[in-house]
Amino acid sequence: MTETIKQRAPAQPSRSYAAQVLREAFVRWGARLGLSWILLLVVVAVFAPFLANSHPLLVSANGSISSPLIRHLTPGDVTLLAVFGAAVALWFVKWRFRYRVLALVAVTVIAASLTHLTIQPPKLTVYEQYRENITAGAYDWVINTPVPYSPKDYLRDYGDTGLEAPLLDTGRTHLFGTDDNGADVLSRMIHASRIALGIGFVATGIAMVIGVIIGGLMGYFSGVMDIIGMRLVEIFEAVPTLFLLLTFVAFFGRSLYIMMVIIGITGWSGFARYIRAEFLKLRQQEFVQAGIACGLPLHSILFRHMLPNGIAPVLVAASFGVASAILAEAVLSFLGLGLVDDPSWGQMLNQAVKSSSFNWWMAAYPGGAIFLTVFAYNLIGESLRDAIDPYLKKSAG
Amino acid sequence: MLLQVENLKTWLRAGKDTVKAVDDVSFHIKQGETFCLVGESGSGKSVTALSVIQLLPTDISSHPSGHILFNYRHDDGGVESVDMLALEDARRREIRGSRIAMIFQEPMTSLNPVFRVGDQITEALRLHRPGISEAEARARAIDALAQVQIPDPELRVDEYPHRLSGGQRQRVMIAMAMACEPDLLIADEPTTALDVTVQAEILRLMRELQERRGTSILFITHDFGVVANMADRVAVMRLGKIVETGSVTQIIQDPQHPYTRELIAALPENLKRRRAAPLAASGAPPGTAPQRPAGMHLDLQGLEVYFPVRKGLLRRTVDYVRAVDGVDLQIPHGQILALVGESGCGKTTLGRAILRLVEPTGGRVQVGDRDITTLARRELRPIRRELQIIFQDPVSSLNPRLTIAQTLLEPMAVHGIGDSREERLAIASRTLENVQLEAAHLWRYPHEFSGGQRQRIGIARALVLSPKFIVCDEVTSALDVSVQAEILQILLELRRERNLTLLFITHDIGVVEYVSDEMAVMHGGRIVERGPTAEVCRRPRHEYTQKLLAAVPRIELQG
Repeated sequence: MTETIKQRAPAQPSRSYAAQVLREAFVRWGARLGLSWILLLVVVAVFAPFLANSHPLLVSANGSISSPLIRHLTPGDVTLLAVFGAAVALWFVKWRFRYRVLALVAVTVIAASLTHLTIQPPKLTVYEQYRENITAGAYDWVINTPVPYSPKDYLRDYGDTGLEAPLLDTGRTHLFGTDDNGADVLSRMIHASRIALGIGFVATGIAMVIGVIIGGLMGYFSGVMDIIGMRLVEIFEAVPTLFLLLTFVAFFGRSLYIMMVIIGITGWSGFARYIRAEFLKLRQQEFVQAGIACGLPLHSILFRHMLPNGIAPVLVAASFGVASAILAEAVLSFLGLGLVDDPSWGQMLNQAVKSSSFNWWMAAYPGGAIFLTVFAYNLIGESLRDAIDPYLKKSAG
Repeated sequence: MLLQVENLKTWLRAGKDTVKAVDDVSFHIKQGETFCLVGESGSGKSVTALSVIQLLPTDISSHPSGHILFNYRHDDGGVESVDMLALEDARRREIRGSRIAMIFQEPMTSLNPVFRVGDQITEALRLHRPGISEAEARARAIDALAQVQIPDPELRVDEYPHRLSGGQRQRVMIAMAMACEPDLLIADEPTTALDVTVQAEILRLMRELQERRGTSILFITHDFGVVANMADRVAVMRLGKIVETGSVTQIIQDPQHPYTRELIAALPENLKRRRAAPLAASGAPPGTAPQRPAGMHLDLQGLEVYFPVRKGLLRRTVDYVRAVDGVDLQIPHGQILALVGESGCGKTTLGRAILRLVEPTGGRVQVGDRDITTLARRELRPIRRELQIIFQDPVSSLNPRLTIAQTLLEPMAVHGIGDSREERLAIASRTLENVQLEAAHLWRYPHEFSGGQRQRIGIARALVLSPKFIVCDEVTSALDVSVQAEILQILLELRRERNLTLLFITHDIGVVEYVSDEMAVMHGGRIVERGPTAEVCRRPRHEYTQKLLAAVPRIELQG
């Protein structure tokens, strides 16, 4: 009655649990739609200067070809491009996951420091010069970006208020119309996607790191550590994030970074609860006990054996966390406490309400973008949750 | 003929695959008879039972062919033969509960925790007997509880399930099932989750009730001991088919089908006999250890593990749970000591306390001539290599995120076994071959293995460190009987090759008799009796040991 051991070609490598979960999550059409929207946003955010810019991409004046756009790229733009390029390249490289993450971090640090040292775009930008030059016929030919307006290219000299509905027959193409100051709405939305994505990832990242560390300590050591940790969690859960943000904005002025940090350090309690519960459960699992019995060091037990098995619910919570961070930023900007001059979806909604008359394009497009992004993250979170839920899987087969 | 199943097929859909869970099964049950379906896990015996009572979810199951003819006795006494498969839902519900009742395996989850025990019995009663008054239903419920021998039924009827023990809950389940006086009782592994002494009581109770009421029982089990005690007729199932049907004596004494023979041969009782046979012939049994100089490998002195019971706002310790309460135990080199006891007696805690996975509150654990109870974590690490543990549950004992190679190599690297990764890989693949797996299995993840294979990987993980002492904590209780036989043989083989000392924790007396040289019986945190296995089994001295051994369902085997 020897159990027949199934002979299979060892050449075919087995799929790990993580790969299985991802596969399962992203066969669902909801998650695929969500993921494609987020990827589209990432591409748009990275290539924003090449998509919407008043500086022409290429200009030929008196036979010499130049690119004002590239001359005006900021260090931030270049860093983003470098990191994106590295990430895409590393996706195809067959290294171990840990090395690829390390490589990406290294590229980010090096690119950020190099660009800030070397690249110095002209401080003063006069967008009007290109339009004047074109009317004056100073250029032989010009290649513009798809949306030929920068987000801060205020066309105040065009009309009384600057507000123009989309596609009015005025000789200028503003696909999504213009705002109070005469800036192109589509261009502002493209550049605002950077803030939306950035605040989501960074704030949730901070929250996750703090939550995993505190929750992990609570779960593994339990006892006194657990009691203190849980009281800390309860204290942080009682802090109203929005009012704390308002207070900080009042004291320290408007800063994107302060916003990220505050959303991050008030949002970790949920992650800590999840990780604590997982670790409490995993600590009693026999493979962890076997690890201790084998004399494995503590860091290996915590990070190699317990964390990968307990991280799944945290990732689900993270995708919802990103959505709520985006909403928090939108709410602040809508209240007029967001960034001053930089475009953000919430701030554009604020403008839609502030104008004397209701301008639908000012509300519909940024509002739609916020809705779609939050919806996309929720779809992904929902799908991940289903993929890791053993009960749902059981009922399916 | 009360129930007649003809050519039943039940197909289950799992994603895109269709599993033929029950494939062309026919059997019948007479009035007042106990019919046992025996088989290993996945043989389709539970699905057959669920098909009979029509409890399978209709969206994933289908019956491409077959009839389940049941003699439906109406309240007025008229009998009608109905086909459960063709019946409409409303009439199936009439039959379910009133004429066919079911008992499930897990008594902890089969009672609704938010209702009183009495309410759960009366609900079914009043549903199927609309004429009955509330007072009368309550009286019937108390009567039903009295019939299943629950003490003080008048008080217990208002108890919530969490106040009852596992055995009592299973009695309540039986009372619920029997309250409407069904003609057919389906019992799906009703005693598997219970201790042997409780199991013996439940089985006796079921037999008594059956005699009094003339109920037929469809009894599903994997345990031949239980079969021998309960059944009139037996059917052996394998891969959705019935391979052999016959009377209980015929199946056990004279099995015809090769699969049935294999199953019977794999019973620990039979392994025991085979092992004893060469002993008589040559005087050197293959399983026993070579003679070693006397000397204790493991020495426990007054070992205590207390868990504090904390209460109140300040979490003051008000009392202790004495899980292990002063245990003295010695295991000589190269011996297998079996530790036997029922659930909750502290045997698992004792095993873990020896390895200091649970910190002992008092006493000493001495390995060789070293006292390890006082060592600091760091000092303990090199000693961990020599003390290993194999766990009960093959599912949770391997990290699902790591390949077998990673699981096996990491402890070796920590303890500095092997100089390079290649060397460790070679050791790992040799160890896998030792437990009858292949080197190619190193690159797989745990979910790709069966329960028996995972258990062997668990053994391999303990072996790669070449330990001298292994705690085997119920290593075979989650496995089928044929797989259990293999695992036991592997362990005995390894013990002989590597001269291991084993502490074998189990609740299965058959396994104890097969593997162990000595046995110790544990009850309430203390060792109540210990001695050579054959001696203790033949002449138990302590009252508890006698009770325990008497409760084990035995198979009368031909000499």
